[in-house]
Amino acid sequence: MAMGFEGIAINTWLVWILPFAGAAIIAAVARGGYKVRDYTAVAFALASAISAATLIPLALQGEEVHSQIPWISSLGLKAGVLADPLAIVMTNLVAWISFLIIVYSTGYMYGDRDLTRYWFFMLFFIGSMQLIVLSDNLLMVFFGWEGVGLASYALIGFWYYDRKKDFVGKEGHIAGGIPMWASPTHAGMKAFLMTRAGDTMMLAGMFLIFMHAGTFGFKELLEDPSWAFAMNQQNLLVPAAVLLFGGAIGKSAQFPLNEWLLEAMTGPTAVSALIHAATMVKAGVFLVARIGPLFFALAMMGAFSMQQFFEVVAWVGAITAFLLATQALVNPEIKKVLAYSTGSQIGYMMMGLGIAGLSLNFVDGYTAGFFHMMSHAMFKASLFMGAGALLHTVGSRFMTDMGGLKKPMRKTYIFMLLASLSLAGAPLFTSGFWSKDAIFASVLESGYGYAWPLFIMAVMVAVMTAFYTFRMIGMAFFGKPSKHIEEMERHGHHIHEAGPSMLSHTRSSQWHR
Amino acid sequence: MAESYFLLAATFIPLFMAPIAYGIGRKVGVNAATWLSFGALAVSTGLLFIPAVGVYTGQQKVYAESYTWSQFGNFGLRIDGLSLPFVLIINVLCTVLALYSKPYMVHKVSEDLPERSAGHSDGPMSAGRGNGSHGSANVSGTQLTILETDQRVKNQMGLYFSLYLAFSMGMLGTVLATNLIEFYVFFELMLVPSFFLVAFYGYGARRRIALMFFFWTHSGAVVLLLGLLAMGFFAGGFDFDTVKANAANIPAQWVPLIVFAIVIGLGVKLAAFLLHIWLPYAHAEAPTPVSALLSPAMIGIGAYGLLRLWMELLGSTGSYEQYNLYINMWGLATMIYGGAMALMQDDIKKVLAYSSISQMGYILFGLGSESILGISGGTMMYVTHGLGKAILFMMAGSIILQTGTRSMSKLGGLAGKMPYTAVLAMIGALTIIGIPPTSGFMGEWILFNGVLQTATNHMDAFRTTMFGLGILATVLSSAYILWMFKRIFFGKIPEELAHVKDSNRYITVTMAVFAAMTLIVGVLPDTFLNPITDYVNGMFANQKEVLPLPTAHTGGSAISDTGPPSSLPKGGFG
Repeated sequence: MAMGFEGIAINTWLVWILPFAGAAIIAAVARGGYKVRDYTAVAFALASAISAATLIPLALQGEEVHSQIPWISSLGLKAGVLADPLAIVMTNLVAWISFLIIVYSTGYMYGDRDLTRYWFFMLFFIGSMQLIVLSDNLLMVFFGWEGVGLASYALIGFWYYDRKKDFVGKEGHIAGGIPMWASPTHAGMKAFLMTRAGDTMMLAGMFLIFMHAGTFGFKELLEDPSWAFAMNQQNLLVPAAVLLFGGAIGKSAQFPLNEWLLEAMTGPTAVSALIHAATMVKAGVFLVARIGPLFFALAMMGAFSMQQFFEVVAWVGAITAFLLATQALVNPEIKKVLAYSTGSQIGYMMMGLGIAGLSLNFVDGYTAGFFHMMSHAMFKASLFMGAGALLHTVGSRFMTDMGGLKKPMRKTYIFMLLASLSLAGAPLFTSGFWSKDAIFASVLESGYGYAWPLFIMAVMVAVMTAFYTFRMIGMAFFGKPSKHIEEMERHGHHIHEAGPSMLSHTRSSQWHR
Repeated sequence: MAESYFLLAATFIPLFMAPIAYGIGRKVGVNAATWLSFGALAVSTGLLFIPAVGVYTGQQKVYAESYTWSQFGNFGLRIDGLSLPFVLIINVLCTVLALYSKPYMVHKVSEDLPERSAGHSDGPMSAGRGNGSHGSANVSGTQLTILETDQRVKNQMGLYFSLYLAFSMGMLGTVLATNLIEFYVFFELMLVPSFFLVAFYGYGARRRIALMFFFWTHSGAVVLLLGLLAMGFFAGGFDFDTVKANAANIPAQWVPLIVFAIVIGLGVKLAAFLLHIWLPYAHAEAPTPVSALLSPAMIGIGAYGLLRLWMELLGSTGSYEQYNLYINMWGLATMIYGGAMALMQDDIKKVLAYSSISQMGYILFGLGSESILGISGGTMMYVTHGLGKAILFMMAGSIILQTGTRSMSKLGGLAGKMPYTAVLAMIGALTIIGIPPTSGFMGEWILFNGVLQTATNHMDAFRTTMFGLGILATVLSSAYILWMFKRIFFGKIPEELAHVKDSNRYITVTMAVFAAMTLIVGVLPDTFLNPITDYVNGMFANQKEVLPLPTAHTGGSAISDTGPPSSLPKGGFG
């Protein structure tokens, strides 16, 4: 079933193969010195991004590429890539943000003695994420899914020596008997185990589909829907869909599997920017975006209802958005506020995708949710990179140790302000406004019975988002310099602007304005 | 008579080389004995590959050699789709571990020499550090070369390799056997050299533990023998083919007794729950290369026995349909017990021992699902567990060699000091957890899919609950493995271990071989899956209760209201 477009099918495969190839050779290349090694990592990320970019003309024409090779013949399974417009948009988003963050890392992680391991896992991550986006069947998606989980575990626990300064949370703070501060290795394990719980649910859903359909491929599942009708007769279709969503809950840190994302902030900020803001946590949203239309179409074909599945998606999203936004209101650490914010915004995306299945017109909610994902990826990556600059300069992760940084860090201030305006949804000139408004509109116009409670929750979350966003900006950049900063100045460490490589990439994430 | 003697040669070359290895070890040196053993096993593996390729590519379903023997029947050796994965894993493990044995056993044997175990640190092997727990830490290449020149070390190493070769032969013969009595003979032949290996070269109260290991396994084997004898007498012959053809002749009231005897006898070998007591001691206190064979290779032969003796030979008696639910439940209990106990251990090798119990539970869980997917997955788990657990035991040996301790509370932060060991151990850890792209994922997903298939097909709430608990047990596996990894390799490094270095090439290269294998099988599982699924399909071709593989096209053969599914699935096969 390889489509025409000779040469472009190779490009689709290369998008995910190149980063893995880079990861495989990076240890050997490192012998040539650290400049060679760093440039190699950047080069592979760039090559993968360019391969992704060559697919854009296809998307603009609304066409797709589907290429398969034999894989596990004993079970009749093939490996393949499917680059339809959804995947092409997502793969470019992932590829270019990854490239920018790799370049940012060269500045942020400069001088770190374990940088080879860092490049290995970053490239492995990019390859796995592209595998999730471009695979044409659920089994290969699962390969990528676990791959990003592994890379996330390794990068969260990157500074595995567990020095005090790499912890996250306030030391000594205990809530309900549970210590609220975590070491990098603890956080890595927590992330792995929580996402594994989600992944086992996703596996169960995949099994249910495979045993009835005999295949995992998205196109094959849609071609012959008799499996769905058989499953629906046994009341197994909605459970299978909800189980698949269970994997998305785990990976996208939705309630109740949201805790790992907060402790994931022990990783280097570039990792937080890439994995925990822009890409990996979006994998769950992407999965819902892939299977949502499939289940909606099956429901229409078979004249049954998948309402329960879409309700679960929408409500889990809404509850997560609300819950995490409340916690962001009071947290003193800058990266934790951004992490809570990420989880909350992903709740918005899930709400959008869920409401799509609950309305007569699937398209509005779907495009709203997906559009919010794209704009969030860009401004959240930018915010994290700015936070990285702040962390570097001030040497502390607590916002209470910052303050009055508007003058000495002017450029960081401007970029973070623009990104924050987008996060808060400042009217008319920020993409965040348009995407959030689209979600509100699709909720109101859906014709779903409980749309009003969803809408009210969404509005409250928007208010809270605006509050915690400007609280963050205020605490970091306005007011009097904190005692911590005064100490630093006294010891001769002057507050200075971040280096050029870090800066240019904080800025380029603003392009969508 | 057979036209070619590949299997005969492959099985008996290691046995004939055993006394030669002993002699060479005494006279020439440790290196010579090591490479001789490696060579003998490599030749044996190579000879196995020739018929194996034929069976794999489907030119011939079965490759057998048979020789008239006694009134018990013919002495035969056979590779078919079922024994192929077992044979390959056993031999590859034995071959590579022979090289791994050298640095580890030289160090161990020299530790046990009288003047060192008394706590003195004089002599050429003094490391100047003298901590008492396991001997000196940080064994370097030059220290090993000095140790190897001691005549007593040479004697011991010669003896070790001769026992090792006999052990390898025993395991190989068991899975190649075509006769019930022959199977039993090789089964016990596996036990005797391993008893001596644990008794001579083990840790702690090794003689007592070796005896315990011997009594448990031998009692199990005797129970198994009773079942085999009954089978043979009723079927009128002990050859597998005779028994399979005449299985209907076994009186109905004897079948449950025979099945019970076989299952219990093999359950001791598999270390299933309640019959597992011997395993944590034996695996923890055995010398690590032997542990790396006991756990990945030997206990899995219990699973092979179940597949061959019960599910295949007694297939026509219908006993599989009757009892598979109990095997499933037993497997679940074993999985959860092993996982929970593994979480509580401080000793690395005890964690790995309980992990092996848990993984054998996975295999039983798969074998007890009434579906081809589940049984194939369970068989594939033998391959994946073999590779993964071998890597992890080799890691344990590397840590013991370099740090002198097995206790995780005394370790930490070793990833920086022992990078190769850490990276390769991570790959082994991922295999046991079941993460793609390692082979562990391939075995695990197929297995669990099969269990769920049966559960939903019969709309059986009990089986579905067991599936749910089983899937949760995989999270338990992830937990104990990751925690073990964290306690050994992450965190702050204790002061005593500040000068630890990574192991020498005999250890790291052999670990890398298995790591590469698990990654290749994880991405291209057909190497083992093809023969397994073909064989299991054939085994259950006439039994309607066992669910076939799902096919793409009509809504899968699992749910059809037109009656039982047809025996052989159509479409989508290699």
